[in-house]
Amino acid sequence: MEKERKPKNIFVQGPISPEKIAQSIANHSSKTDIGGHSIFLGQIRADEKPEGNVIAIDYTAYEDMALEKAFEIREDIFEKYPLTCMHIYHSLGEIKVGEICLFVFTSSKHRKAAMQACDELVERIKAELPVWGREILDTEGHVWKVNT
Amino acid sequence: MSQTIQIKAFGMIAEKIGSSDLSLDNPGTLKELRAQLESQFPDLVGVKFSFALNKKMQLADSEIPAGAEVALLPPFSGG
Repeated sequence: MEKERKPKNIFVQGPISPEKIAQSIANHSSKTDIGGHSIFLGQIRADEKPEGNVIAIDYTAYEDMALEKAFEIREDIFEKYPLTCMHIYHSLGEIKVGEICLFVFTSSKHRKAAMQACDELVERIKAELPVWGREILDTEGHVWKVNT
Repeated sequence: MSQTIQIKAFGMIAEKIGSSDLSLDNPGTLKELRAQLESQFPDLVGVKFSFALNKKMQLADSEIPAGAEVALLPPFSGG
């Protein structure tokens, strides 16, 4: 039976804890038709900029639009790949260097669908979600993050 | 007869405007809105940003419907 899918909140205030990620993996142990998971974790990097070193990123979003867009992306990816599960979590607020700010998790019967779907999701999240990162520097200034 | 539109600014654009919410008289199209914003906030001249109308991305010369929620979106940098 096709499950009806509804927009979900993908935003998490603050960093995504390793415990949450572990719990999320554990939650799938009862779904025994899954044969492969793929996980992407975005971590705040201590970039060195001409203006100073990055110590944290402060994320803001146009939340209503981002959730609508995330739902559209989810539907596209579910249509394209035979997935059992898909989870997206993105941080808002200040996330320090070394902490996790993005958690994308796909599961399927076989590994390739999970891996390709995960990769495509991450690319689309970065390109299409109205989210902005303000990179906080050790010089007390800031620069606006640019996605490459 | 003028009508008001609600403008939401994000990221670098909100910083340059000094606010994340504005109310303006509807200038008619996004092209005219950009010109009006640039004259009101000279820091916006030459800065790259896109528009969304009622949460959908729009072409730079789209018409602004009455009562629209207009968002000013600098390049996305999530993840």
